[in-house]
Amino acid sequence: MARILFVVPPMTGHIQPTLAVGDALTSRGHECAWVGHGEVLERVLPRDMRALTLGAAPDGGPWREELERIRDRAQEVRGLAGLKFLWEDVLIPLAHSMLPGVRAAVDEFEPDVVAVDQQAFAGAFAAREKGLPWATLATTSADRQRSLADLPRVLAWTEERLTQLQVDLGLEPLSSPENSLDCVLVFSTAALAGASDAPPTTTHFVGPALSERRPTVGFPTDQLAPGTRVLATLGTLNGERGGRFFQALAEGLGGMDLQVILAAPPDLGPFPANFIVRPFLPILDLLPHVSAVVCHGGHNTVCESLAFARPLVVAPIKDDQPVVAGQVVDCGAGLRVSFGRPRAAHLQQALGRVLNEPDFEQAATRVQASFHKAGGAARAADHLEALLS
Amino acid sequence: MSDTLQTVGRMIQEVIGDDWDLDQPITLETSFGDDLELESIEFVSLAEALKVEYGDEVDFVGWLSTKELDEIIQLKVGDVVEFIDLCRSSN
Repeated sequence: MARILFVVPPMTGHIQPTLAVGDALTSRGHECAWVGHGEVLERVLPRDMRALTLGAAPDGGPWREELERIRDRAQEVRGLAGLKFLWEDVLIPLAHSMLPGVRAAVDEFEPDVVAVDQQAFAGAFAAREKGLPWATLATTSADRQRSLADLPRVLAWTEERLTQLQVDLGLEPLSSPENSLDCVLVFSTAALAGASDAPPTTTHFVGPALSERRPTVGFPTDQLAPGTRVLATLGTLNGERGGRFFQALAEGLGGMDLQVILAAPPDLGPFPANFIVRPFLPILDLLPHVSAVVCHGGHNTVCESLAFARPLVVAPIKDDQPVVAGQVVDCGAGLRVSFGRPRAAHLQQALGRVLNEPDFEQAATRVQASFHKAGGAARAADHLEALLS
Repeated sequence: MSDTLQTVGRMIQEVIGDDWDLDQPITLETSFGDDLELESIEFVSLAEALKVEYGDEVDFVGWLSTKELDEIIQLKVGDVVEFIDLCRSSN
């Protein structure tokens, strides 16, 4: 029996895949714990999973305000300005502020292996300092090497930020310090993410780790209408930012002969009669009941949809989403539409195509098969166990 | 409107998957950051489209690869048009 510590950033989508991996390890007799921001772990981690929360925020106060500030700003910036913001205002400060708490968690839990999210650099540094075996969890397949390959100066800029970060923390600056030299687990497959230049002996495409255990969200299944149904979600986006898109969605899909199950703030309406609108939706429970998914290109939503072989219409907003949307289009499992300048007619046309042209569902089925073969959470657990020897 | 601007405008539309409103035409002053919110992957798609149009005559990838992050954020459509015209006039 061994102890495995997961180091996670304050982003729900990055924590979710670790739950299934943790469950797989626990069922094999290992002990798991998660270190991260209390406010977020409280919400995402099931009660029986052990949470080691970080101490106070850098200013000595609660993290809530700091996290809200990041969340609000993050919804405003897109494009390459969004990339700059992500690094300068989120990832680098996060590494500084998380490191003391992660070190304390390592001292308290005494892990045999540390499993570190690719964006929680503090975990990589703490494991390195202690000489502990560690793995990188690439919970989204759109890493910086992949998405910035053709913008070398921008890639170099991210590398400089990481070098400076290590210098500031008194660490020997290594290149790509977020990637373990022993094990990088990518929660996708080549069928979706495309071929990779990463070293094949240490980079493992394990596919998505879908958790059976997730917060229960009620849904009135008796409201599901017979005929074609479609699921639509923009993740945790706030209503203000998504307003125009939701409006185009209502206009474009309102006249179609299908039912739309939409995750949106209820105060945004009115929505057409063929819409069911809820602030939160149990995505995995609803996927068996729908024929296609309209989403923002969040890595988890896309992988969950493809795990059910559902074709997609993707309207990427920011960060890794344009890359993930590109993967969906390239593998043939869906179409991309504009989020910033949404058009009702485009949405209607794109959805009509993914529903009616069998190629999209066939491509989604191919990706689904690749997920089964990749092994998911169980395979990820195998690789983490292999680090014990 | 110059031919180059028209061509680049059409390619941007293809890349961002959108019909641009007539009341918001793509001009030399349109910025790739604030106005178009182009992502890194979309710059790459634009480069591919330009290569198909102009061939080796216009090395947009090479030109872009010399740009710093802040320069790319502030890049305007006019800068790309100017670069393309320069490449083509020197050949």
